[in-house]
Amino acid sequence: MVSRFPPWIVKRLSLAPSDKKGGGEEVNKTRNLLSRLDLHTVCEGARCPNLWECFAESTATFMILGKICTRNCKFCSVAKGSPLPVDQKEPKRIAQAVKKLDLKHVVITSVTRDDLPDRGASQFFSTVMEVRSINPDVIIEVLIPDFAGSREAINQVLEARPEIVGHNLETVPSLYRKVRPGASYERSLKLLKLVKILQSDIYTKSSLMLGLGEEKQEILQVMEDLRRIDCDILTMGQYLQPSSSHLEVRRFIPPSEFEEYKKVAEKMEFLFVASGPFVRSSYRANEFSSRFIRKVTH
Amino acid sequence: MKEIILPDMGEEVKEATISFWHHEEGDKVTKGEDLVEITTEKASFQVEAPVSGVLSKISAGEGEVVKSGQVLGIIEE
Repeated sequence: MVSRFPPWIVKRLSLAPSDKKGGGEEVNKTRNLLSRLDLHTVCEGARCPNLWECFAESTATFMILGKICTRNCKFCSVAKGSPLPVDQKEPKRIAQAVKKLDLKHVVITSVTRDDLPDRGASQFFSTVMEVRSINPDVIIEVLIPDFAGSREAINQVLEARPEIVGHNLETVPSLYRKVRPGASYERSLKLLKLVKILQSDIYTKSSLMLGLGEEKQEILQVMEDLRRIDCDILTMGQYLQPSSSHLEVRRFIPPSEFEEYKKVAEKMEFLFVASGPFVRSSYRANEFSSRFIRKVTH
Repeated sequence: MKEIILPDMGEEVKEATISFWHHEEGDKVTKGEDLVEITTEKASFQVEAPVSGVLSKISAGEGEVVKSGQVLGIIEE
């Protein structure tokens, strides 16, 4: 039987011999900690192929506000439906996990909570504050939903002073209706712009999935739109279909094309660009902070 | 004897398919080399040989759907 993926869509799985369960020891340690603290990760929710690699390095992207999303994006495998009430103790548990995992850079994201009056902004605020209180040196990156464009919500998140605010455009405008129904390209772009207007010293970041049927010219246009609003960090990766009920992959982009996009983005003077088949918004997010933020603060 | 067990690929990934074995039963294998390729909905994974030895048994053949925790094969050290 031949694999249905091109040769570059292959990850390595290393099985540590000392572990009876057959999984890498570090992977299980991370998994056990998350389960003990009853925390969710986008790594698991999105069936991320990098999970093994990241968990082995004791890193994970925390997903707050429960694991049920009120939006119905066609690329994403996070569960959809009616979410549970907000868990007020979740921020403290995230803070404990960051400490236990000894993270230098943490990424905190969430499901979209269109059902909440503040769209979940106060939970982001509390989580950043709690994490900071017992991990004073950690770099905090929040990957936020669009908060339905609420300036108040964005303001509240920024008050907690995360170092990096990410919001993913995900795809080109012509595919929004198909890929992100319920979202708007313009609104997402405005949100990133607003972050810079309100707090110009916070780094902004966005991510794109390629392979959904977008044209090269459209990708270049998105890059230009992002630079125009002073977005600092851009990541691009291959869209991978989580299940047969999600959007199909239209094209597997070869690594060489990802490299080309990276060069173009660097020419446009993004501060940091990551581009490759397995690149995800939060994949090796600490590479940015170790190169830029540490340098600035020390 | 070391059982090669399909690791837990994540809460949401319940099963995977064996794409192909890089070795046949009776072959010598070296720790760290590619042993078997498995495919989930999202990607392919090369499972490395966890120890050196002889691949004495292939328990899950090519095309077979396997679950987390299932024994894929055995290496005699």
